[in-house]
Formats: sequence, structure tokens, C-alpha cells
Amino acid sequence: MSEPVIRLRGVSKAYRKGGEELQVLDRLDMDVEEGEFLALMGPSGSGKSTILNLIGGLDDPDEGTIEVVGENVSQLGGDRLSAWRARHIGYVFQAFNLIPVLTALENVELPLLLTPLSKTQRREQAEYALQIVGLGDRMDHRPKQLSGGQEQRVAIARAIAMDPTILLCDEPTGDLDRDSADQVLDLLQRLTSEYRKTIVMVTHDLKAGETASRVLHLDKGVVESQTA
Amino acid sequence: MNLGRLVRRHAWSHPVRAALTVGAVAVAIFLFCFLRSIVTSLDAAVSQSASNRIITASAVSLFQSLPSAYKGAIGAIDGVDSVSRMAWFGGRYKSEENFFAQFACDAEILFEQYPELLLSDEQKKAFIDDKRGAIIGIGLAEKWGLKVGDTVPLIGTIYPRADLRMWEFNIHGIYRSARANVDEMTMYFHFHYLDESLERGEAMGPRGTSVYLIRLEDGYRGEDVAYAIDAYYEGGPQRTRTQSEAAFQADFVNMLGNLPTFLGMIGAAVLIAIVFGIVNTMTIAARERLRSMGILQALGFSTSVPARLYLMESCAFALSGGLVGAGIAYFTQDTFRKLFGTQIPVFTVETDTYLWAAVICVVTGLIGGAVPAWRAARMRAVDQLRRGI
Ligand SMILES: Nc1ncnc2c1ncn2[C@@H]1O[C@H](COP(=O)(O)OP(=O)(O)OP(=O)(O)O)[C@@H](O)[C@H]1O
Ligand SMILES: [Mg+2]
Repeated sequence: MSEPVIRLRGVSKAYRKGGEELQVLDRLDMDVEEGEFLALMGPSGSGKSTILNLIGGLDDPDEGTIEVVGENVSQLGGDRLSAWRARHIGYVFQAFNLIPVLTALENVELPLLLTPLSKTQRREQAEYALQIVGLGDRMDHRPKQLSGGQEQRVAIARAIAMDPTILLCDEPTGDLDRDSADQVLDLLQRLTSEYRKTIVMVTHDLKAGETASRVLHLDKGVVESQTA
Repeated sequence: MNLGRLVRRHAWSHPVRAALTVGAVAVAIFLFCFLRSIVTSLDAAVSQSASNRIITASAVSLFQSLPSAYKGAIGAIDGVDSVSRMAWFGGRYKSEENFFAQFACDAEILFEQYPELLLSDEQKKAFIDDKRGAIIGIGLAEKWGLKVGDTVPLIGTIYPRADLRMWEFNIHGIYRSARANVDEMTMYFHFHYLDESLERGEAMGPRGTSVYLIRLEDGYRGEDVAYAIDAYYEGGPQRTRTQSEAAFQADFVNMLGNLPTFLGMIGAAVLIAIVFGIVNTMTIAARERLRSMGILQALGFSTSVPARLYLMESCAFALSGGLVGAGIAYFTQDTFRKLFGTQIPVFTVETDTYLWAAVICVVTGLIGGAVPAWRAARMRAVDQLRRGI
């Protein structure tokens, strides 16, 4: 086995709500191998989104270390963190993923502004990413003019356009009907098998869990069980 | 695709809101330009006044005329190069409500004393040769559609005619002004003609002149000559008050009281109002965009990007509004110049005013963007993602 691309050790996170402390993560250990498609499952409020935010460096742990592609994420800060994130992390949120005032193509092109690519190269790469998700014919649509499933696929296109090391998906199928959900899952599946992307996906959807190569069940801040 | 496009899209995402914001800034900047120009135009009239001219009026009041016989004695005073009389006529054009300034003057000396009056030599000569001749400013000509060869009928209010008819003057020339101290909304005609009509009983009214215009000989100081004139008439028959042209015009401006201060206060209030307006627009906009700003940061954009976007958008609103407002001020100058006529000689929006307007727009834009920028900078990306809808 190779070195894990994501390694969490003794990670704790608590929120203070109205004087009461809520322990969301309690000394959590977790490893994700390169090219793995991991599903995170668990009841609402169990800290799944929090884990994704910690891996992506959007949030800091109270305790513990988070190593992602060899970097100690919580020790990166400011613009170095932003640059690291642009290079290694692709995000797909549960909903409202896209900038509403930009077209599908523009949304996908947006993160490419952070690369040294030329204007034409950016455009070509964005168009290619939209082709991969099967939306080559919807490039000039605004998010409002797309269905939920299409929006989600644009979000995935945006995430993969940057060719990130890791894809973090927070309930990517949560708002979708079965057919759209299956399309999105197929797409993610292909990304691991064909492009060897590492994917961490939060989901409530059992079918989604089956697509993944491994499932972690989370409860009360600790890993409850694992199925491979 | 670049961040500029994102700023533009955001700015226009609510066209009505954008238009209202830009419109409010435009109105405010127009008002600023307009009010400031009133003050600067009045100031220009004062400061551009020639230093080699002084004006003698009655010490009692500007509305009291001086005997026309003073001309000889004033001319004999040391330092006086030439003297001319100028009487306020106060006539109405065609009917009672149409007013513009008319002066009866010593035509031959007028052009010598006022090189600012630009007129061809033929027109000058034609005017001087016709007893009932007159010249008018280009502004007047445009306002009333008058041209050379026309006759101007004036109702005499201060000087009614005995035959109860209107005065009639023949236009021989239309002048332009070389400097802001001389307006283009005045009619000049012959003092002799007025004086002769009064002499013959063809018209009634006060004899004498409103003021004497004095051109100094080189090397003499206005104050000294003015002092000599006033000292000469100290014992009467009518005491005089002689001032530099600048002081005379400044006196006139002072008659307007604290107008500049008052205008300044209105201007300041308007500017404060647009700052509020733009802060309001940007605050509402920022609230709608929390999530978008969170997404940008999740994509790897620097945490300072939201602040920069807000500042750019706010400045874009302020500057487009400013451009429209300043444009309106620029293109309405002529209209206002005619409207104000002699009240504000040569109403002009100065380059300085445009520069100030630009400064105000940038500052307003920065303040408008600073409020949401500051908030965005203090809020972590996770919270923007979580709180945004
Ligand atoms: N900024 C915050 N302030 C206070 N409490 C927070 C904050 N962020 C998260 N929480 C709390 O932490 C807990 C875990 O949140 P998290 O979003 O990770 O849950 P989740 O497992 O993703 O749930 P869901 O399935 O509903 O999305 C929740 O109880 C949530 O209310
Ligand atoms: Mg969640």
C-alpha cells in the first residue's frame, strides 16, 4: 500500500453554541489512499461536512493533525493555503454550487484564472471538462436555466477542470432524483477508475455508498464502522 | 472570462437597483458640478477682472446715479488714462417679463477700455457711427434669436419715452467675450442717445450715469487713483466710491450674502446622501453573495478576493454615476449660461470641478465597497458558505 494521501490523526473539533460545547469530532483518525473513492455516511450533525472542510483547509481543528498530499493543512495559512487549495482540492457542495451570475462555461473557467493558462487554453480546458460531464451543449446556460442534476455536473466539471488531486463532494446527489443521481455517481466512479482521482464523498444515499470503494460510518464524532 | 466580468455581472444582476444607484450618483455629481460652478464662475468674474480698471460709483448706493459732468474732472486726475460713463438702462425686451442687461455707454471708449469685447472692426465702426446703434453679446443673440440688422424694441422702465412707444435700437454687432469677467448677455448702446433724448424731453428719467469706468495709465496703482478721485469729491456735490473692478464685482457677489457657504452645505449634504446610498446598495448586494464569495475561496481564490470584488463593484457604480453626472453638467453648461445671463457672468464648469467630482466618486466608491469588504474580510470562508443561501 502506498502512503495515504489524506491522513487525520487525533482530530477534534468542538463548536460552542449558546454557552454549551458541542463536540463534533472526537480524536478522529482517518486515512484515505490515493485513487480511493471513499463514502462518508452518518446521521445529520455527525460532523461529515466538518471533516470535508478540515481536509480542504476551510476550517481548522481544535486538536490533531491533518496531512493532505504531504502538507500539514492547518499550518498553511493565507495565500499559501489558497494556492495549495487551488492546486489540490476540488469541491462539490450539496447545493448552490455555482456562481449564479456566470454561465456554466464561465463557472468552470473561473478557477482556471488561478493557473498560468492563456485565455484560449482556459476556455478549451473548461469546454473539455464540460464535455466529460456530458454538458457540451449547455455551456452558455446560467445555473438557473439548468436542472439540479446538470448544475451538479457543472460543479463537478469545475472541480475536475483544475485537475485536482482530491475531490471533496458534500452530498453531491442529495437534491437529485434517482436518474440524475446515478449520472453523477457514474461520473464520479469514472473519475476514480479512469483518471485515478481520490474522492471523499459525504452521502446519505445508500446507493451512493455502494458505488464507493469504501464506506466510513460516522457517529458522535468517531468512526463507527467500515465497509469495503 | 476574468474577474472584471464577474464584477460587471454582479453589478448588473439587479438592473433596476444598479440603474437607481448609478442614477442617484449621477444626480448628486451633477448637483455638485452645478453648485460648485456657480461659485467658481462668480469667483472667476472677480479674479479675472482687469487690474488696470477702476470703477467710480455713488458713495450712497449703487442705484444712485452720478452727474455726467464728473467725466471731465475725473479725466484730469493724475493716473487716469480714459473715463467713460455707463448707465444702467433697465429696459424690457418687447414685453414686461423679458429682461436682460443694457448699458448706455461711451461707445468710442468702450472698446479701448474693454479689449475683452471681441468684435470685428467693421461692426465696431458701424455701431459707433449709428446714433441708435447697439451691440449685443452672443449669448443674448442666441437666446432671443437676434442678428445683425435687427431692431431691438425695449420698454423703458427707468426711462419711459414721452411718446409712450418703445425705444428702438439697431444691432450692428454681436460680441464674444475673451474672459470670464465680461459676460456675453449684455447690450451696449450710446450714452449720447439716451442723454440727448432726456435733454429734448423725448424721455424721462434720471440724468447722469450709474458708474464711471476708468482705465489707468501704466504705472499707477488703482488704490491711489481711487483715493484721489474719492478725495476730490469728498465735499460733494455727490460723494463717490471708487473701487478696483475686482472689488466692485466682489461687492456684487457679496450682495448674494453667504451663497457660497449655503451652496457648499447643500453640496455636502447631497454627497453624504450618496455615500449612504451606495453603502446601502453594496450591503444588500454583499448579503446576497455570501455563498458566491465562499465558493470563490473554496476554489482557491485568495481570502482578499471578495473584498476586492466589492471595492471594484462599488467604484464602478460611483464612477459610472459620476461620468453621467459630469456629462450632464458638461452638456448643460450653455443652457445654464444663457439662463443665468448676467447674474452669473459666463457660467462655466471648470476642469477643477471635474477633477473634484472624480475624486469624490473614487472616495465614495471606496467607502461604499469598504463596508462589505471589511465584513467579508472578517468572515471565514466556511461561515460564508454555511450562512449564504
Ligand atoms: N459554525 C458553526 N457554529 C456552530 N455549530 C456548528 C458550526 N458548524 C457546524 N456546527 C455544528 O456541528 C455539527 C456538525 O455539523 P456538520 O455540518 O459537520 O454535520 P453533517 O454531518 O454534515 O450534517 P448534515 O448531514 O446535516 O449535513 C452540527 O451539529 C452543526 O450544527
Ligand atoms: Mg453536511
